Amino acid sequence: MNPPHEPINWHLFFSHIGQLIISDTWAWWAAGIGIGLTALGLAWYKGRRLGVTGGFEDACAILTKDESTFAASPSNWKFWFILGLPLGGLLANIGHWGWTWLYGRLDMITFGSMLYKVPWLLVGGFLLGFGARWAGGCTSGNSIMGISLGSKLSIIATLVFLAAGILITNLLFKAL
Amino acid sequence: MALKRAVRKTTKRKVSIAKPKEKSMAKKQTQPESALPYLVFGTLFGYFLSKARATDYDSIVDMFLCREFQLYGVILTAIAVVALGLFIIRRKGIKTKSGAPLELETMDWEPSRLTGAFLFGAGWALTGTCPGTSLAQIGEGKLVAFFTVAGILAGVWAYKKYKPASSSNEEQVC
Repeated sequence: MNPPHEPINWHLFFSHIGQLIISDTWAWWAAGIGIGLTALGLAWYKGRRLGVTGGFEDACAILTKDESTFAASPSNWKFWFILGLPLGGLLANIGHWGWTWLYGRLDMITFGSMLYKVPWLLVGGFLLGFGARWAGGCTSGNSIMGISLGSKLSIIATLVFLAAGILITNLLFKAL
Repeated sequence: MALKRAVRKTTKRKVSIAKPKEKSMAKKQTQPESALPYLVFGTLFGYFLSKARATDYDSIVDMFLCREFQLYGVILTAIAVVALGLFIIRRKGIKTKSGAPLELETMDWEPSRLTGAFLFGAGWALTGTCPGTSLAQIGEGKLVAFFTVAGILAGVWAYKKYKPASSSNEEQVC
């Protein structure tokens, strides 16, 4: 599209690329391809199934030293995997990084008070951990990896995840 | 531990992606693995989750209110990429890096899992995050995510410790 008399502005080009790498969010297809390739890489590397909640169970096994209740993964690879997640979050936003206690529209629901926000998130987190183990996996293990493998359990679980999420969110934001 | 693994073998259904030629390769290595590659994979996963805007409370809400396609698009693209990749791996008979045929386990459906899935969905809506993105949020500097992560740890701990009577005896895949 550049007319011949107007050379490409390489400086602008690279600053856009840099911006994409260290601070901007991406289009859904670009981020989706990245997540898909990560899952494939993990499968190719040693036949591992992408999953996050297993890492939490590893953490439980490490913290309680109770290997009979909590099934730790071989070499605790799942624990090391989830340890990388905060690092990824940091790198993705390093261009405009800053800490905050704010949390989007949840501040509106909880009147901006930590007194409500903390128990809210603790209870919600408890449901996430408890439900993920019960359902056999979370969004990564069931919705991404399980569906790709054509597992009936994963397909039903994902539909129920979404149905419950849509129901609760609509109750919170539309009905109340 | 060995017994537990043997029990798990019988309950899990193995889906063979590449046709297993040598059975000996299926034996797992006993040597401890290096943690670094998994740390790198985790970092990549966290990076892409953050780039997808999956770590943002408002975009999760907009997804559930069906106001935004973004996160549905992310999940659908990821599924398509993985499914296509697995198809190619199966078609070309590509082995894993260690030379073993790629075998990924899936589990059978049981109606009792519905309750667990519903609880998870409720937690997803309340916290605006799933287990993976809550950890990425910590890296982003969203300090409230520490409480979500503490809750998830407690939930996983409680499930394994006081498993509901109606729940499945099967282990989890992830």
